[in-house]
Amino acid sequence: MRNEEFDVLVVGSGLSGLRAGLELSEKWNTAIISKVFPVRSHSGAAQGGINAALGNLEEGKDDTPKRHAFDTVKGSDYLADQDVVMFMCEEAPKIVIEFESMGAPFSRLDSGLIAQRPFGGAGFPRTCYAGDRTGHTLLHTLNEQSVRKGVKFFNEFFLIDLIVVNGKVAGLISLDIAQGELVSFYAPYVILATGGFGRIFKQSTNALINTGDGNGAAFRAGVPMQDVEFVQFHPTTLYGTNILITEGARGEGGYLFNNKHERFMKRTAPEAMELAPRDIVARAEEIEVIDGRGIEDSYVNLDLTHLGAEKINERLPGIREISIYFAGVDPIKEPIPVQPGQHYSMGGIGTKINGDYGETDLPGLYTIGECSCLSVHGANRLGGNSLLETAVFGRYIGRRLIERGLPRRASLGDIKKAESELIDNTERLFQRWNENSGKKPVEIRETMGDIMNKNVGVFRKHENLQKAFDTLRKLQEEFKNAYLLTDDRKFNYSLIRTLELRNMLDIAEVTAYAALWRKESRGAHSRWDYPSRNDKKYLCHSLIYRSKEGLEIKTKPVKLGIFKVKERKY
Amino acid sequence: MVKIQKFLVYRNSGNGEVKYEQFEIPVSKGMSVLEALFYIQDHLDSTLAFRYACRGAICGSCGMTIDKVPLLACRVQVSTLKSSKKPINLPEFIFGDHPNWNPETEILIEPLPNMTILKDLVVDMEPFWKFYREIEPYFTREWNGIAPESAQLPEQMKEIERLVYCILCGLCWACPVNAKNSNYLGPAQLAKANRFVRDSRLDEKQQNVILSRILKDDAVPACEKFFICNKVCPKGVMPGTAIKDIRDNWMNKSNI
Repeated sequence: MRNEEFDVLVVGSGLSGLRAGLELSEKWNTAIISKVFPVRSHSGAAQGGINAALGNLEEGKDDTPKRHAFDTVKGSDYLADQDVVMFMCEEAPKIVIEFESMGAPFSRLDSGLIAQRPFGGAGFPRTCYAGDRTGHTLLHTLNEQSVRKGVKFFNEFFLIDLIVVNGKVAGLISLDIAQGELVSFYAPYVILATGGFGRIFKQSTNALINTGDGNGAAFRAGVPMQDVEFVQFHPTTLYGTNILITEGARGEGGYLFNNKHERFMKRTAPEAMELAPRDIVARAEEIEVIDGRGIEDSYVNLDLTHLGAEKINERLPGIREISIYFAGVDPIKEPIPVQPGQHYSMGGIGTKINGDYGETDLPGLYTIGECSCLSVHGANRLGGNSLLETAVFGRYIGRRLIERGLPRRASLGDIKKAESELIDNTERLFQRWNENSGKKPVEIRETMGDIMNKNVGVFRKHENLQKAFDTLRKLQEEFKNAYLLTDDRKFNYSLIRTLELRNMLDIAEVTAYAALWRKESRGAHSRWDYPSRNDKKYLCHSLIYRSKEGLEIKTKPVKLGIFKVKERKY
Repeated sequence: MVKIQKFLVYRNSGNGEVKYEQFEIPVSKGMSVLEALFYIQDHLDSTLAFRYACRGAICGSCGMTIDKVPLLACRVQVSTLKSSKKPINLPEFIFGDHPNWNPETEILIEPLPNMTILKDLVVDMEPFWKFYREIEPYFTREWNGIAPESAQLPEQMKEIERLVYCILCGLCWACPVNAKNSNYLGPAQLAKANRFVRDSRLDEKQQNVILSRILKDDAVPACEKFFICNKVCPKGVMPGTAIKDIRDNWMNKSNI
């Protein structure tokens, strides 16, 4: 059995993982473990930008981190933890400038400063951007710096489970995708930065690899999932493929039209119009379609034609390319057909109350980025805050752990014992899949995606959520009998995708369960049967655990105190 | 009636065993070649190996040779492939015998050219990353978070914008120089070098570090101006033009 020993393991090589790895590699023997090469990570698909109160534009000169924090908290429908939001927004200008110092090629103003654009839910043009490929350029910049600093990578290694010894994390076991072998990594610190898990939905902007592998491993190790009922549906995903069309398209002045050629946002957000936050625009679009004002009864139009060819080519070239290749539509000439699609998971791996940001209840285990719930986004994330979160907390966690110092390692004997149990379980799992006679994983995966889409979508109600939960319970049973050839393990992507499905079924089940529990409407969680917010009962974070009896819920208070909880209007 | 599309797919066990296999796939509306490959993996043969990630042409994972043209599988529509325009005068990429391919009716799927094949459509990218690292593609400034950021005018940024779009997919390694010289750094790598040496913010020292590597053998001088890279690049990076820029502006300067 091959094994490797490090001081700290970072799982995931998107922006969060890379930024943490860069910080930690300076001092400690650090490994970044990822199922893909770093530049393939989904951070690279982020388009619009990264928020920071730089005030580079005249209209933004009164912007401050505190105003950024206020917009974020309001956008979160007051569910975000205000201390951590404040920290993120104060770090924002520094982290953006740090990216620039690393060489990130931002778009520029005539003054030579980083360009900024308006984004939904923001009081000022605060979103720093690199055309409409901001995530791509930041991901490549961190990859370049990782090359410069000689960061150690294990690419194409798939996280299976965490090794836990005496109630503390001691490493992980993984599958080396190329060799098809199980490989263990030992370390007293593990940071999960595995990204989102939007693929539990059929229609998602997420990469196919966004399957919640860190979430699954943490959940099996007893760590709760927090606020997973809050799922962001992006209002402008390409009709059909659900590829993201950046909010920047509306930030640059794009309009949304229904089949009567009305700018329907005037009904829901007369002031903010198309630049209302994502949850609000997504609901408005669904209502248009439900009330018969959708085009072909299924989508609305995002019209950029009035912006002109020059602006589109300069500011939104990637959007033009996507529209042409994936929908056969040139946005210079005609509107882009769009519909809401799953985009972002506000919830994720639960964090410890009054711990360091990103610390979990399992000693030694930390989590950052989309897989985590810190919670900076509460019930709804503002555009431009996710790239920000990744780098701010990647850097923070690296610095914080170094400050804390390395914990005592578990004894090698104890680690080996825990490891061999996990290995045996995994081997048995593979063996069982090989010998089973049940459904193919694809059937289970597709049913899961359909059921989540239909019943746990933009609008929710009890009977639909119950139906989703019951179906997911059934799918969990069917999955035990799923059939898959596992004897040839080299580059066995079917095996990888089945391991991913194991993680997704857990998260989907937890999402439906938490959504059933939360009998109110807040942010992205919108229930027909409970249309208003209920602060008395639900101004709290949900934490879902798996016990022998099934799923269990606990709650955690929201950290308030900086901004007063108010009604949210735009 | 569901339309059925035939695929002829290169298979390689990784142990030297090579064959072409035919699959028939029901085509759904808007189906990409990548989705068709998933259909095979999910329903017909779970062992078919190929890389993927974003399915939106931004991650660079799913490069492969489709009907003899290096392409991103996620960005090619099954229904329009046969009628779409193909780049002309590409070199012929040979992976094995496929005597039965019918170019009119069958979609031929093969791995990327000029790379070692590990399994089916999965190629060894390590040489690609090694040469990427070799050009030292990075800024060496101390990181700092103090405002203001270093200035760059919009027109200075424009000079590198196209080069920044590179997704490191490896399609440009279809270059005939890569075919005959396994030490050639490659078009993507040299375009990346151009992205740095053209950046108004890069200091002279690091610029010289990069130039001193790429002005030597197996780099810029090895380029034979085929411009195949410009034709196959899915992102309009134009690596051949980037190499030309380096050659025209730095090749004959005495201080390097």
